[in-house]
Amino acid sequence: MHIPDGFIAPHMYLPLYGLAAGLWAYGAKRVARELDESTLPWLASLTAASFALSFVALPLPGGTSAHVTGIGLLAASFGIWNAFMAASLVFAIQALLFGDGGVTTLPLNALAMGFAGAVAARGLFLALRHLHTGVALFLAGWIGLFLPAALIALALGAQPLIAHDAAGAPLYFPFGWSVTLPALLIPHALLGLGEGALTLLGVRLIERLRLRYRHD
Amino acid sequence: MTERGKLAAWLLALVSVSWLTSPLWLAGGLLMVLALCGRDAVRLLRRALLATAAFSGTVSLAYVGYFWWQSRALPLDWLLTVNLRVLSMALLTFLFIERVNLFQALAFSRRLSFLLVLAVSQSLGLKRTLAEFRLGLQSRSPRPAGLRARYRAAAHAAAWLLDRALANAHESAQAMQSRGMFR
Repeated sequence: MHIPDGFIAPHMYLPLYGLAAGLWAYGAKRVARELDESTLPWLASLTAASFALSFVALPLPGGTSAHVTGIGLLAASFGIWNAFMAASLVFAIQALLFGDGGVTTLPLNALAMGFAGAVAARGLFLALRHLHTGVALFLAGWIGLFLPAALIALALGAQPLIAHDAAGAPLYFPFGWSVTLPALLIPHALLGLGEGALTLLGVRLIERLRLRYRHD
Repeated sequence: MTERGKLAAWLLALVSVSWLTSPLWLAGGLLMVLALCGRDAVRLLRRALLATAAFSGTVSLAYVGYFWWQSRALPLDWLLTVNLRVLSMALLTFLFIERVNLFQALAFSRRLSFLLVLAVSQSLGLKRTLAEFRLGLQSRSPRPAGLRARYRAAAHAAAWLLDRALANAHESAQAMQSRGMFR
């Protein structure tokens, strides 16, 4: 479920925009250094794949389903900056072309999911791959979903503290950390298992497909 | 007003509304946005309500329950302030999507425009095919598909998606190369 505009106070999203803008500028510079007729389509296709992955429903017992983010998969296969730029572009397309999610929540999503998620997933993958590649990929997918959920829970739970009226009543998102942390962490710890499986299988598939296209 | 001007005006309006904390000002703002929507007001309001209802409704109901349990009263001020703000901002965004050509607004950067056109066109194509996969599974299953069938369908969809994305990248790169795009 995307957080719409109006729940995150400007006291938080404006500084986050500042931070994200710095990272976007650096990321664009790094990607642009290699941006040519082979890398630009790569980034566009990664963005499209990441966007479409969010529509692949992961079935859950009971008839419901959850949606994968593919951050661990992108970070493990294509590196932190490609994953961050592709994920940021997905959030921007969702907000600006489909009205899905907010423009004021964009930096929070980009930093938590696109950056912190990608850094954690890539870091864990690189740290553990010499022990067992499969386990490293699975854990990279899991952390790529779980860490962003924790950061978003912290950001949402901070709203009553940073934006309240004279009587202390909340003006934006109303619940504190005692509610947001368990509400987001418990389901995402379980959903991360599906994301881990997707990362493991997805990276293996991408390696095979890359070989095929290299030989074409 | 140019498309870039409209983009700047929309961003400014969005930031301004996000600072408002008085239900009266927010109601006035919502009426102003509705007036700007003109004949499309009802349709855009409906879209904005549908887009925000799941999150706003869940949080509002949970907070009403929590507040009632704590003080046997309703948090009317909070309900009005937050829901009017959320609705005004969503309506502003849908008005922007309806009236502004984003590709023209971002045309100041040639590479950003290329990237956006490629990414959006591929995204829409992939999204449409995934919806067809879902409909295909439904039409093949006389009864609602079981967990195993849904897992297999999700795995096939994800595998096809990654294959298609890599093929798209490969084809676009060849097309750009043959047209001397970056020379």
